[in-house]
This record gives sequence, C-alpha cells and structure tokens, in this order.
Amino acid sequence: MTAILTSGISKTFKGDLHARPVKALEGLDFEITQGEVFGFLGPNGAGKSTAIKILLNLIYPDSGSAYILGSDVNDKNIRKHVGYLPENPYFYDYLTAEELLWFAGSVSGMEKNKIRASSDELLAKVNIEQARTRQIRTYSKGMVQRVGLAMALIHDPQVIILDEPMSGLDPIGRKMVGDLILELKSKGKTVFFSSHILTDIERFCDRAGIIVNGKLRLAGHLDKLLENNATLEEVFLREVERAGSGGDA
Amino acid sequence: MKVLWPIAYITLKEGIRNRAIYGISLFAFLLLGLNMLIANLAPRDVGKVAVDIALSTISFSGLLIVLFVAINLMAKDLDKKTIHMVLSKPISRSEYIWGKFFGIALILVLTVIFISIFAALSLYILKAGYESFFLRFSWPLVFLAIFFIVMSLILLSALSLLFASFSSTSFITLVLTILTYLVGRSLSDIKALIETASIAGATVSPITAKVVEVAYYIFPNFAFFDIKMNAAHGLSVPIATVFWTVLYCLIYGTLALTAASLVFRRKEFP
Repeated sequence: MTAILTSGISKTFKGDLHARPVKALEGLDFEITQGEVFGFLGPNGAGKSTAIKILLNLIYPDSGSAYILGSDVNDKNIRKHVGYLPENPYFYDYLTAEELLWFAGSVSGMEKNKIRASSDELLAKVNIEQARTRQIRTYSKGMVQRVGLAMALIHDPQVIILDEPMSGLDPIGRKMVGDLILELKSKGKTVFFSSHILTDIERFCDRAGIIVNGKLRLAGHLDKLLENNATLEEVFLREVERAGSGGDA
Repeated sequence: MKVLWPIAYITLKEGIRNRAIYGISLFAFLLLGLNMLIANLAPRDVGKVAVDIALSTISFSGLLIVLFVAINLMAKDLDKKTIHMVLSKPISRSEYIWGKFFGIALILVLTVIFISIFAALSLYILKAGYESFFLRFSWPLVFLAIFFIVMSLILLSALSLLFASFSSTSFITLVLTILTYLVGRSLSDIKALIETASIAGATVSPITAKVVEVAYYIFPNFAFFDIKMNAAHGLSVPIATVFWTVLYCLIYGTLALTAASLVFRRKEFP
C-alpha cells in the first residue's frame, strides 16, 4: 500500500513587490510504499523542505496533490498517523519535555496513561529522562532536537517525516537517531527523511530520491542508483551538474 | 474540538511562566501600595479616589498583559516557527486560533483575579481607616467593574489574534492592537462631541460626521466596558446594561475570532 504519494506538485513563492518569484517545486511526483525508508537528497534550496511542508499542509501547492495513507493531506485526521520532526525545531521555552509530550499525545487522541507510558519509554530512548521536568529554554540544541523526535513518535505513527534529523546532533545523538530509524524500519513504519548527509542515506534507506531546483532528478532503490560501482556522492554531484547545465531528469 | 484544551493549557503554562507577567504584577502591587498613599493625600472623596485607582491599576495591568504577553504568545509561534510543530498534529487552523484564545483568556482571568485580590485588600484597609468616605461604596459594583475590565481585555485579545493572523510581524500586531484600543476608548466621546457641536455653534463637515459614524459601528466600543465611575460613586448599573455588554463582547469576540480563523486557514507557513 502507498504511504506517501505526490502527483504533479508545483509551488512558486511569490515574494514581495520587488523580489522575483522563486520556483520551489516543479511537477514533483513520487511514491513511497508502506514500510519503506526513503531518503530525500538535495542541495540547499532544492525544495526538500517545501515538499515536506506540503505533505504536512503547512503550505499549499499551486497545482498537483499530495496524499498520505490514501487521504488528501488537507484532511487533518490523517496527521494522527503522521509524526514530524521539523528542521531546527523550536518549542515553547517555558514548557518541559514532559508537558510537550503530553500536548503531542493529547492532541493525537491518546489516553492519559498511554501518554505517560510512551513518554517514559521515549524519553529514556532519546536520553532526556534526567531533564524531563526542566524547561526547554535550558536545553542544548541537540536536546531540543531529541525532544522533537520524541514528540514525533509519541503517538506511534505509521508515517514518520523527518526534516534533516541529524542536523545539530553530536556523534552520539546521530547514532541514536540512526538506531531509531532502523528500529522504526524493523517495526514496518514508513520513514521519509531529508538529508544532506550522503552516508546517512546510504546507511538507512531502501530508496532515495535526488531533488535539484525543485525537480526530482532521480529516484529508486539504492542498489539501482549505485549501479556500475558509482558512489552516492558521484551520482548526486552528477545530477546537480546536469540540472545546472539544463540536462534532462 | 478535543484539541482545544491541550492548546489552551500549553498557552496558559507558557504565558504564566513568562517573566513579563511577574514584572507587570509587581508593577500593579506598587500602584496598589501607592493607592494607600494617594488616597491619604486626598482631602475628601478618599473612597472614590481609592476605587478609581484600584480599578485603573487592574485595567492598565491587564492591558500590559495583552500587549506584552498575549500578543507575544502567538507572534512567537509564527516568528520561531513553533507553529510547524503544532500544525503538524491533527489540529485545524481554526482550532489553533480558538485554543490559543482560550489559553490567553485564562491567563487574563487568572492574573486579573490575582491583582484584584490585592486591589480589594487595599480598598478594605482604606475603607476601615476612612469609613465616612466609603458610605456609598459597594463591593458588588467593584466586582462588576472588574468583570467588565476582564471582558474588555478578552475582546482586545480576540482582536489581537485577528491582527496577528494577517500581520507579518508582531510589531504590526502590537501597533494595530494599541490603535484599536485607543480608538475604541474614545469613539463614544468623539461621536457625542460631533452630535452636540451645533449646540456650541461649531460646524462639522458631513464627511467627518459620516467617517466617525462608520468607525463607531466598526471599531469595538471599549467605553461600554468602563464602569469605573459607577463603581467609584456607588451608582448602580442596570441589569440590561450588563446583559447587552456581555452579549456585545460575545458577538464581537466571536466575529473577530471567526475572521481570524478564516484568514489563518489561507495562511502558509514556509
């Protein structure tokens, strides 16, 4: 079954009076099946975050449509089955990790005791247990990122969307996130994550897509993308170069 | 609708722990302390001066909370992009607006209750010391005046949410809220002035009169909520006035929040 489907999504940011419109996405089509870990790879400004925000209904496409688990992303109820970690997350300064998890669980329709059990488990997993009653403003960037991850997972979602999940993390944090992705994969969850880090894509993904200038240049199974002994770096650089010279996707 | 409470609750917690609220409360206590001194200096009408200062302190502190705490609560969500986390949950844009509003209303109710306890204490002490100046003093009227202040602050918060829904920065929201409050406070007086101008032999252009009339019906009339004079002079407020003021607050507030929800529904969060 299809977990995520986008069909012909285009988006142009108009900007203010004097700025030229910026084409962020152009006819973006991709499909991710359930249980798959899909890596979304692209240079800065390629349109990765725009695509993710369209999937979460934070911005609206000019044309095309997007579906999660068969429902249009406009349907707010579908987000009960989606967990999202924003890039550089920023949460409420004066709330504690425990309170944030209570919020995330409550709005997802979880029972009080279920929220408590899941919070205990997740806070231990992301190593925030000791700081659970401290206000977020006292946390380091990496700790905020880890709380964000716990918030994305508290309601045991089917589809997990992570925007640059490794950014701002130290090697221990990166290993923790990597282990979590692998655990989610073993549970049959669908993970869609964007990254700049090629080794992360190689380590965790079943399939990957390379997006440049708002167009999906290449998508497929990793072994297919890396045939002829090419490295992911070589494939990535080749696609960026081709896009720059106007080559076909 | 089940999501309204979690949104309101985290808004309340985030707001109530904000240091600005402690600063504003401290400022209110200082003013209430001054109330004792100023009332002592008044040669007569100590009761009226004391009630007026106590209610003005509550009203002004509440206004500061709307301007510097409530507006920030939504503006920060937009500026710092916390809204990405909130709206990625099964929460609609309208639910976000209403939840935020209820949280802000709770903050206002709680802080006004807190400051009112000290205001009442200052009035109680002064009343005990100057019994003869408090002959027309009425606790129910003082509490009714506080209730009216809370309504006006809640209405102003609803309007600030409407402004925040389309403003690009929190500064614009702040300016629009202050302007609306100032216009809303003085429109009744300006309208009355224009209507009675001919008696004083002055002429007002028909365009000015029309502009004021239109503004009178568009802007919220915050003068409706000001019954400080009644409370200070012990003049009763007809029950019909209370009923119509509550209804006015409910209708105007609902319209403002509905408009905010509609604007917010179209808003994008890149």
